Amino acid sequence: MERLLDVRGLHVGFKVFEGYLSVLNGVHLDVREGERVGLVGETGCGKTTTVKSILRVLPMPPARIASGEIRYRGRDVLKMSRRDMTALRRHELTAIFQDPQQSLNPVFTIGTQLRDIVRDSAIGRGKRLSRKDVEARCLQALRETGMPDPERIMTNYPVQLSGGMRQRICIAEALSSNANLMLADEPTTNLDVTIQDQILRKLDQLVEDKGASVMMITHSMGVVRDLTQRVNIMYAGSIIESGATRELLDNPMHPYTQGLMGSVPKLTGEGVTEGIPGRIPNYLDPPTGCRFHPRCEYRMAICESEPPPFFDIGDEHRVACYLYGEDA
Amino acid sequence: MSETPILTIDHLVKHFPTKRGVVRAVDDISFDIGQGDTLGLVGESGSGKTTTAQCVVGIYPPTSGQILFDGAPIGVAYNRRSKALKRRIRIVFQDPGSSLNPKRTIKQILSVPHDVHRIGSRHDRLSMMSHLLELVELPPTDYLYKYPQSIGGGEKQMVAIARALATNPRFVVLDEPTSALDVSVQGKIINLLSRLGDELDLTYLFITHDLSLMRNVATRVAIMYLGKLCEIARTEAFFRSPMHPYTKMLLSSIPVVTAEEELLKPKKIVSQGEIPSPVNIPTGCSFHLRCPERLPICSEVDPEMVALDDDRVVRCHLFPGS
Repeated sequence: MERLLDVRGLHVGFKVFEGYLSVLNGVHLDVREGERVGLVGETGCGKTTTVKSILRVLPMPPARIASGEIRYRGRDVLKMSRRDMTALRRHELTAIFQDPQQSLNPVFTIGTQLRDIVRDSAIGRGKRLSRKDVEARCLQALRETGMPDPERIMTNYPVQLSGGMRQRICIAEALSSNANLMLADEPTTNLDVTIQDQILRKLDQLVEDKGASVMMITHSMGVVRDLTQRVNIMYAGSIIESGATRELLDNPMHPYTQGLMGSVPKLTGEGVTEGIPGRIPNYLDPPTGCRFHPRCEYRMAICESEPPPFFDIGDEHRVACYLYGEDA
Repeated sequence: MSETPILTIDHLVKHFPTKRGVVRAVDDISFDIGQGDTLGLVGESGSGKTTTAQCVVGIYPPTSGQILFDGAPIGVAYNRRSKALKRRIRIVFQDPGSSLNPKRTIKQILSVPHDVHRIGSRHDRLSMMSHLLELVELPPTDYLYKYPQSIGGGEKQMVAIARALATNPRFVVLDEPTSALDVSVQGKIINLLSRLGDELDLTYLFITHDLSLMRNVATRVAIMYLGKLCEIARTEAFFRSPMHPYTKMLLSSIPVVTAEEELLKPKKIVSQGEIPSPVNIPTGCSFHLRCPERLPICSEVDPEMVALDDDRVVRCHLFPGS
């Protein structure tokens, strides 16, 4: 399968008063055509920074992309002109963010916002839609997300809708641009489980219908297991394990992934483990070598000096941990 | 469950009059908690679980109904409760980031309950505070003089738990104590709470929206929907055979991480509809609009709580009782 998005060795940092926050520390990940990929990690591990780097919406300064490559269909995203970037964001990439409250403009109606997107993305394809067509497409996009009474919703302001409805609007907006790659950054974190379930099902089905690819960013292992084919586990700014979702979640290899899986409360009710001792490092002065080594119970001398490379342990399952090195 | 429940909630009602109508946050609920039990109160946002908890600690006086603690009625507002009572019932809030004063050291934060309740002489205070921190597994010398901002979220929540324990309570309300935390930290807090519960003989009212978590901490589970209870049962029975259609919908919506768990989930029930606004609750059973098994009667008559076997109470027309 062709690689749609390819991120190689991405280092991103933030220059702040206290010094330089080295957040992303060599992120490698890729998304193939028509694939659903998960990016999982805890708060502050750099998931959102990764997404924002890909979309190039990080405020620079203070952010700085120190090194690395982001390629979309082979084109270098980081070297694109502003014009090309706008075009890319308009037609190829789309994003859903965690908080729909912040991604919808409170002073315009849903209709105004949705119409703008539909019209602009058509103009980008060199087509000019009649007012009627725009309206029809908006209504269709809303209907696709299972929204009741789309005509009325178009005249509503975001505050008049519930959280679940607003998130569905964001999904409708994301889908109406017919993008090839959707970056969904914790799209259901603020929602209740039954509503989360509805939205994820809908998203899943719509993506299937349109043949788009999705990168699902979340901290919920359950959501990832449900929706993605491949998953990347992120810790303190780097991907530490990646592989086919079910295989990886059934046999986690990296000590961090194992700790994380152990601390997820299960329905089988066997109790929860103590979790992982310590906490995510301070990015001002991150640990040398493997960034997980201060919290790792299996650490070796080499972990403190050299960041581990990826070791292949079969069938696309890769782990950045010396425990799985050839001579270990 | 022991013979006399430590806390009894009897037809509790809490309404909030607003400009847009009366918000029926808690609408006639009854349950009790036995000494040493952990009752898990589960519900989606707006289901009234936090309001219930706030009535128990006295943040709001109930509109009607009664709350009994050790057999004595306590259904009054906080400022009319005796200090002795306030010492017995304590609460831990959801977000330790906003429940701890950022301008005070942990020592100052922990000394507030001692000051208010005049516990211990000035001389003893320091050792009492050290003891509290040891209880929650934080080394006192490292933490007493720190500010909340310089410690992690999990550690902050431990300080909040220590503060709740400062008055030697018997009953602790935990209002989503781990939902602001990452899973790797959550485990530690949960194990800490269950250890403290055993050691200090505490009874918990544990509020959460996470059913998988509930499976691992609660001895009994109560499900709330729009201010009313749907089902109460002992944890194992609850997860083995959920009865109320809403409970089934909730359980089948949880994303799980292992194949064994998937086997435990009830048959997939497609979740539909939105949670109605508590200002405008549907007639009859409040769940009937979203219910996959609704009967004609559901839109007209609100079902009653019916006690079934196995220490289980269900409120649904599918189980008319005997």
